[in-house]
Amino acid sequence: MIIANNVTKRFGDIVALDHLNCKIPDSCVYGLVGANGAGKSTFLRLASGVFQPDEGSIKMNQLPVFENSDIKKRSVFIADEFWSLPRADMKRMADLYAAAYDTYDYKKFHALAGEFGLPVDRPLNTFSKGMRRQAAIIHALSTGADVYFFDETFDGLDPVIRSLVKKKLYNEVFDRGATVIVTSHSLRELEDTCDQLALLYKGGIVMESDVNELKTSIFKMQVAFLDEYDKSKFEGLDIVSFSKLGSVATLIVRGDKAKYQKKLSAMEPLLLEMVPITLEEIFVYEMEALGYVFGKEEDEHETV
Amino acid sequence: MFQIDRMGRKPIYEQVIEQTELMIASGVLKPGDQLPSVRALSQMLSANPNTLQKAYAELERVGITASAPGNGRFIGKDAKALIQERMLDLLADVEHLSAKMHVAGIEKAQVIAAVEKGYAHNPKTVLQPEKGQST
Repeated sequence: MIIANNVTKRFGDIVALDHLNCKIPDSCVYGLVGANGAGKSTFLRLASGVFQPDEGSIKMNQLPVFENSDIKKRSVFIADEFWSLPRADMKRMADLYAAAYDTYDYKKFHALAGEFGLPVDRPLNTFSKGMRRQAAIIHALSTGADVYFFDETFDGLDPVIRSLVKKKLYNEVFDRGATVIVTSHSLRELEDTCDQLALLYKGGIVMESDVNELKTSIFKMQVAFLDEYDKSKFEGLDIVSFSKLGSVATLIVRGDKAKYQKKLSAMEPLLLEMVPITLEEIFVYEMEALGYVFGKEEDEHETV
Repeated sequence: MFQIDRMGRKPIYEQVIEQTELMIASGVLKPGDQLPSVRALSQMLSANPNTLQKAYAELERVGITASAPGNGRFIGKDAKALIQERMLDLLADVEHLSAKMHVAGIEKAQVIAAVEKGYAHNPKTVLQPEKGQST
């Protein structure tokens, strides 16, 4: 269990994390999404004990993470760029990892390298970017750590490898109760991969939810009636967003799908379609509610 | 056995439940049949085990499956009856649709012909997973 309590982290004038609170339960796959610069990577570096919070605390299994080698041994960070010793091959890096993680499993390392088809004695600087990333993941999986931090690491892998990496991680989650924390911009991917999701906005978590709950408690419907009508026709529904084009209204609603279906069918609609919502839609609506339009912030930076 | 549609909108959780029910309804899965373990299914579908666990828990909650500790999960005796019962609720939709057809001036014989056609399908070929809308 990782608990962040009122964590604030500043870099000079920039407040990267602003009184962030979160609880990451054991044996879950926790997805972290947010715009560029929302503080995702900063959070991962704090949770893995690389940075020290300026205020508040971040604890893993009730112990502070920063400079705590016993706790840090229990977690492993997979950055988007794999750092390796000059001219080292995977075998040499295995020794380096083993020096830090006393649970490092050489047998597993060789088995995984074989499965991924990576040569263990070829210098890493002759590897492609994707291969280096795979090498980092293989080492991480061999450490025997309980917590894995993936900082946009999935985004650069091909679909076959991605599926293989996921299967390996799912086994760690299922067999050992490991926790996986992933940041990514591919909401579609996270939707399938994670069971918990958090939305970071301006250094704080604005939404945290179980993915299945999120996907079954909120949905999109399209409805049309013969007569003229407006939003008031849907009184009693928990409406997140409402828009109407001609006679067709699109609503995002929260609640029990079957109940709403019954209720609306009884109103004799010309059209009634209920579809599960995608994460992308949820986040766009949530972010809009916060006054953020995707892509807008980056544009502003460019024009400054 | 499961066909997960990753491009659709339907969550994997719902797809697993729906397809299990369809397989029971059509007789592909029979009472006493064992479901794959969460771990095996997670590897097969490359899907999050926690999600699958929840889908299985839901099937068990409604009484479609039962688990024997240490032995795995099995299709319950009354699974088919339970699913049929729920399907009967959909008769109201059939009625509603027919009423609409009537209003629109469609011949009763045409509606009945459509029903006949539906019943002529081989139950095992109706198993294709429902495609989620891709809008």
